[in-house]
Amino acid sequence: MAEEKTRVLENKPGWIASINPWVLRIVNNPERVAFVLHRVTGILMALIIMAHIYVTGTPAHTGWEAWVEEISKAQGFSLVTLYFFFFAGIAWFHGLNGIRLLLVEFFGVCIGKPEKPKPPYLAPSLKACQRKLLYLVFLLWPILWALTGYIVFFK
Amino acid sequence: MTFDAQAATRTPPKKVIFRIRRYNPEKDKTWWEEYEVETYRGMTILDALLKIKEEIDHTIVMRYSCRMGVCGSCGMVVNGMPRLACQTQISEVASEAKPVIELEPLKNHPVIKDLLTDFTKFFNKHRSVKPYLIRKNKEEVEKGDAEFIMTPEEHKELYEYTLCIACGLCYSACPVAASDDRFLGPQALTYVWRYVSDPRDEAWKERLEAVDVEEGPWSCHYAASCSAVCPKMVDPGAAIQRLRSALIKYKLGLFKKKTAKKAEIPKEQIKPKKPLPPESKLVEGVDIEAMDKAPVEIPIEELIS
Ligand code: HEM
Ligand code: SF4
Ligand code: FES
Repeated sequence: MAEEKTRVLENKPGWIASINPWVLRIVNNPERVAFVLHRVTGILMALIIMAHIYVTGTPAHTGWEAWVEEISKAQGFSLVTLYFFFFAGIAWFHGLNGIRLLLVEFFGVCIGKPEKPKPPYLAPSLKACQRKLLYLVFLLWPILWALTGYIVFFK
Repeated sequence: MTFDAQAATRTPPKKVIFRIRRYNPEKDKTWWEEYEVETYRGMTILDALLKIKEEIDHTIVMRYSCRMGVCGSCGMVVNGMPRLACQTQISEVASEAKPVIELEPLKNHPVIKDLLTDFTKFFNKHRSVKPYLIRKNKEEVEKGDAEFIMTPEEHKELYEYTLCIACGLCYSACPVAASDDRFLGPQALTYVWRYVSDPRDEAWKERLEAVDVEEGPWSCHYAASCSAVCPKMVDPGAAIQRLRSALIKYKLGLFKKKTAKKAEIPKEQIKPKKPLPPESKLVEGVDIEAMDKAPVEIPIEELIS
């Protein structure tokens, strides 16, 4: 008999699960949306900072003071102010959600207390203060972003 | 997983289309196949699958055993969410507006055929964390002449975690396990915390040190999908955070382990007490003695009409 290799299907979504919160459509799981946004904003910030250091270091700008002078002149809708606005949106989310994640992941707080299961069987950490903080992040993020936009474009 | 009693007791749509993702290992081929099933109130996804297997297509493969959410065999992705097929009512996932249910094998577990996944790796991870009580003095356990006292509060701290049925839904939902095969996963890490926090366990130091690796709790990013899909309300997401902060405390020399006191089992047997009748009336306004004397009357006519 010819040797038969048993095949299996790997069935792993891979890295796409890190950028698409809806690889699975899990009910009542906004933490997963936050996880994806946090990862995407973190990576974008790291890329932007590298590009930023490169650009501000080129002869056209030579150093911090020249850069500050340039941005203090920037007004209205220009490439520099748009970049600022874009960066502010990324940083506000990452910073706000970062505080929540520090509480949860490093201090182990805001995740509720173990319970005896009773209907409707909702896991304690999904109704603990981390969830309220998450809603607060989703509320404050657009407000602070809009405020920053106001300052960047109109002040 | 939140249980919606109202949705679960509703009458499902009369006919439901099941779209099943199938896999043939011999041809290494995957495809979607559709089956129409006539439903009834109280029908679960597993009931429907068995009906399909019996009446429409015998070649379809899935795994199940207990049919009542106890054995953890029947996990599958139902309309995009990992669920137990036997614990999910059709009425919870299909509506009159969209009488379609999509079934896929659990993600992050290799597929053997159709909806049947291979749990070897998953169980090996479970085994690797030594999911049992470890005492330094083995005799204590073997002789069985001592009892380790745990307060009800201490018990409550870990009772939730002991409910895990190793169904693998959490592992299937995890975005870290989706890209990293080495990650121990929510289930195994929950077991680590369950024993580290158990006052009767004496191997907590070894457990903490063994789990202080990349594939341990450090890889978790708290997407909390594990807690959102767990059918037993185990809350693995929270267990991992507790384990991680315990590990940080341990490394800073701040972790305090609760230890259980040992109680000797009394040599003389305690005489069983005769139960006494209740002293006061159990239910306000009900005379139990009078009820005892009166003959039981069942209003059959009323019940039938
Ligand atoms: C207010 C300041 C910041 C706070 C509070 C913060 C907080 C955090 C936390 C708690 C994590 C871990 C998240 C997790 O476990 O999933 C994280 C991840 C990360 N952060 Fe930040 N961060 C801050 C600023 C920055 C900056 C300025 C950068 C870019 C240079 C950055 C880039 C990243 C990246 C790339 C990750 C990894 C994301 C991932 O693996 O999912 N962060 N941050
Ligand atoms: S923690 Fe919950 S979802 Fe994970 S294996 Fe145990 S019972 Fe299943
Ligand atoms: S068949 Fe046992 S849990 Fe579903």
